[in-house]
Parts: sequence; C-alpha cells; structure tokens
Amino acid sequence: MFRSFVDYLNLCAAYLRININAQLEYRGAFYSQVAAMFINDGAWVVFWLFFFTRFPVLHGWSLKDVMSLWAMTTAGFGIAYGLMGNAHRKLAPAIAQGELDLWLLHPRAVLPHWLLGSTVPSAWGDAAFGFVVYLGFVMPDAIHAVTFVVLSFVVAVVFVGLGIATGSLSFYIGNASTISDQWRDSSITFATYPPTLFEGKVKLLLYTAIPAGFISYLPVQTLRSMSIVDLLIAIAGALIVLTFGVGMFYFGLRRYESGNLLSMNG
Amino acid sequence: MNIFSDAARYVWIARTSARSNLAYAGEVIYRCSFLTIILYIFLRLWTAVYEGSGVDRVGGLTLPQMLWYLVVTEAIYMSAPRVASEVDEDVRTGRLAVHLIRPLSYVGGHLSRAMGDRVVRFAINLMVGTAIAFVLVGPISLSWSGIAMFLAVLPAAFVLDFLGMFLIGLCAFWLESTSGLALIYTRTVMMFGGMFLPLAIYPAVLQPLLKVLPFASMLSAPGLMFVSPSLPLLEESIVIQVAGVVLFAGMVGLVQFIAMRRLFANGG
Repeated sequence: MFRSFVDYLNLCAAYLRININAQLEYRGAFYSQVAAMFINDGAWVVFWLFFFTRFPVLHGWSLKDVMSLWAMTTAGFGIAYGLMGNAHRKLAPAIAQGELDLWLLHPRAVLPHWLLGSTVPSAWGDAAFGFVVYLGFVMPDAIHAVTFVVLSFVVAVVFVGLGIATGSLSFYIGNASTISDQWRDSSITFATYPPTLFEGKVKLLLYTAIPAGFISYLPVQTLRSMSIVDLLIAIAGALIVLTFGVGMFYFGLRRYESGNLLSMNG
Repeated sequence: MNIFSDAARYVWIARTSARSNLAYAGEVIYRCSFLTIILYIFLRLWTAVYEGSGVDRVGGLTLPQMLWYLVVTEAIYMSAPRVASEVDEDVRTGRLAVHLIRPLSYVGGHLSRAMGDRVVRFAINLMVGTAIAFVLVGPISLSWSGIAMFLAVLPAAFVLDFLGMFLIGLCAFWLESTSGLALIYTRTVMMFGGMFLPLAIYPAVLQPLLKVLPFASMLSAPGLMFVSPSLPLLEESIVIQVAGVVLFAGMVGLVQFIAMRRLFANGG
C-alpha cells in the first residue's frame, strides 16, 4: 500500500517534469500565460481594493478576509490544474470523443494517469498569485502561513474532485463540455465572494451541488479560527468531493465506448 | 454603385455570422445561465452595500438602477467575439494568406463577422438579463430619449472593442502566443471600463483619467446611458469614442502595414 503510494508520487513527479519541459519548449508562450493569469487575478484585487476603499466592511468581512478567499481559491486552483491539467476542461470532451482508449491500455490505474497527462500553463500564474497575495496582503505569522499551504493542497483536492465529477457527466449525458464548464465556473465564482452574502437554500447549495464552501469558505474559516475541528471538516469536505468525482468516473467508465481513434501521443 | 456592392458584401458576411451564431443554442444558454449567477451574486453584494451604508443612492444610482447598469455592461462584455484568437490563428496557421487573396479587406471581413456575431449575442444577453433584473429588482423607468442615447453610443463601443482585440491578434506576428495579452486586454476593459463598479465609485484621483480612456466609452457609457441618461455624458462619450476609433484604427493600419512586410506565403 505504502509502496504503491510512493510509486504514484514518483509518477506524479515524473509527469510534472515532463509536462513542464514540454511547456518550456515554447517558453515565451508559457511565461506570458503565467504572467497574464497573475495580472488577470490582480485585476480582481484592484476591484476589491476600490470596493473596500469606498465600503470598508461588507457583512463583517474586510479586505483581508476577501483577499484570503482569493488567495485560497487561486492557490488551490493553480496547484490542482498545474499538477493535473487534464482535470481542467479536458475530461468531458475526451470521454465524448472516445479518447480514453490510449490511457486504458497503460498498466497504471486509468484515472490518476489521465489526470497527470498535462499541465495548464496559466494555472502556475494562479498558484503564484495565491501565495503572493496571501503573504503580501494578509501578512500571516508562521503558523498561519503553514496552515495556508496545507489548506491550499486541500482545496486543490476539491478542484481535482470537481474537475473529475463535472467531466464525468459525459459518460451519462453525451458531450457535457458546456455544462461541465458551467458547473465548475459557477463554483469558482461563488467561492470568490464572502459567504455572508448568501443564505437559506443557496447556502445549502454552496456546500453540496456547487461546492464553493469547500473551495474557500471552510478553508478561510479555518484560517480565521485556527481550529483543528474546522481543519478536519475542510479536509473531510475535500475528500467527499474527490470520492464523489472518482465514483462518478469509475461508475461511468462501464458505459464508455471506444472512439476507435488512431493517434500519436508524443 | 461600387461602394454599394462593396458594402453589400460586408453586410452579407455580418448577416451570415449572425445567423450561424443563432444556431449554437447550447453556448447561448451557457452564457445566459452564467449571467444569471453573476447578476444574483451582485444583487446580494449591492443589497448588502445599500443596507450597510443606509443610503438610497451609491455613485448616483439606486439599487435597481445599479443592477440594470450591470445587466447592460455584462451583456456588452459577454457578447465580445474571440477576434484576437481568430487573428492569431490566421497568422499562425498561414490562413491569413488565403484571406488576403479574397476581394475583401482583411480588417473589414473580420469587422463584419464580429459585428454580426456580437449583435446577436448582445441581444440575447440583454433579453435574458432584462428578464432576470425584472424578477430580482423589478423595472426601472426608461425614456425614449435615453434608449436613443444608449443606441447612439453602442455601435462605436463595439467597433472600439473590435479594434482593440484585432490589434492584440496582430501581435501574433511577433509573439509566440497572444492569449495572455488578450486576457490582460479583456481585464483592462473590465476594470477601467467600469463593468462591475460605476466609475463614480472609483477613487476620485483616478476618475479624470478613466473618463478620457476609451475603455469607459465601451462599457460604462452605454450602461449609464441606459439607466440614467444625460446629454453632457452623451456628448462626452461620442467625442471620446470618435477619438478612440481614429486612434485605434490608425494603430491597426500601422501595425498591419508593418506586419504584412514580415509575411511569407509558401505555396501549398
């Protein structure tokens, strides 16, 4: 069990090296995408700066709290799709077009192997942005900084789980690319606004169908309270989302039909 | 006669583009459902602001006007076609050479396609946004003169945005990828154009600068004209739009002239 885990970590490291080297073949394009995403996220910081300059408190949330939401969401997103780029927007069309064949032939379990198959260049900009904003705006002490790093990996698990769940819809309803993107984008959008804005049934939705609560609300709550219980709930939430996604994938895989594609994978 | 037949060609391209856009219902539904989410979140955000500050107006707008402003600015922003990536692809794949042998201006062809695309997307976004705003905050009072002013600034807003995106696409002659630049451009339009926040809410020191940049006349001006029209704003917007179109068109002409000298077409 432990050896198998170490094996997968080695596989992960090998894929990371290959994916980054592949991107660096066009290093101008890679760096420009990373920088552009950093600036893109920065535009939202400017928006909130202007907002909180005019309205200093929003339902008990200050600029630092909202920056923590952004830092947590972008860092988690960046780690998830930087390491497992195929979980981002690629699963739904791949299933619909029968492109999983190649991955089914490998000796490794199909899902982790598929997930590691590529990196999203701009995701590295998101990851860098998350850590820079948290350190720059929130200026945490050592224990908060370490907790943030731990939580950013927990959030990455949520993003991977969400990517698998949304992409796996293609097993059930045909090409689900559009609805898959919509589901994930909605979760990210809700995750970047203070949870105190939402109440009632919408709040329930944000901890179930649209897991924004597990992407940023619970992790930021953990950073505010530094409670071990909150941390465990955040981890449990992330594992539930991942388990749900993996379950959807393997249950749906039984319905998968080959695309009979001949392709070169370099 | 020649001018009319030339114009008819471009109108035909725009019409074809508009019709083909109507065929992709899935994408339209996707965009509209995302618009619903954005409007709902901003309604909650602005409701909290109005309740928290205990005022009737923020930046000169009431809560319903603020949401309707957002409907218009979002409808414009979300209707933007992917001009930069199309031009980028033309350059990168060499398809540009094929476009150049057609009896059409390269910029003109793209402009017609983009306008046909955009008019349909904008109309659908606005209809859906209107329905959502009706449900969330109810109607606001509109005047015929206000709607006329809104329609007067809209075409130039679209053309300005097109020229900006076209310029980004032309950068493919020099850059490995323009996707990053396109992302920065859209965020610049979003932030400096006043998409989420009317410019009156921005820090006072920035407002004079933002008002003279062309971005505000792409989003903020049509949005304000719709919810709270005024003749001075119309005059100011038209002056900035005309200057912006002249400046951007000049830059497109110059960059295209320089870029075409780098173009090599190899049979095929």
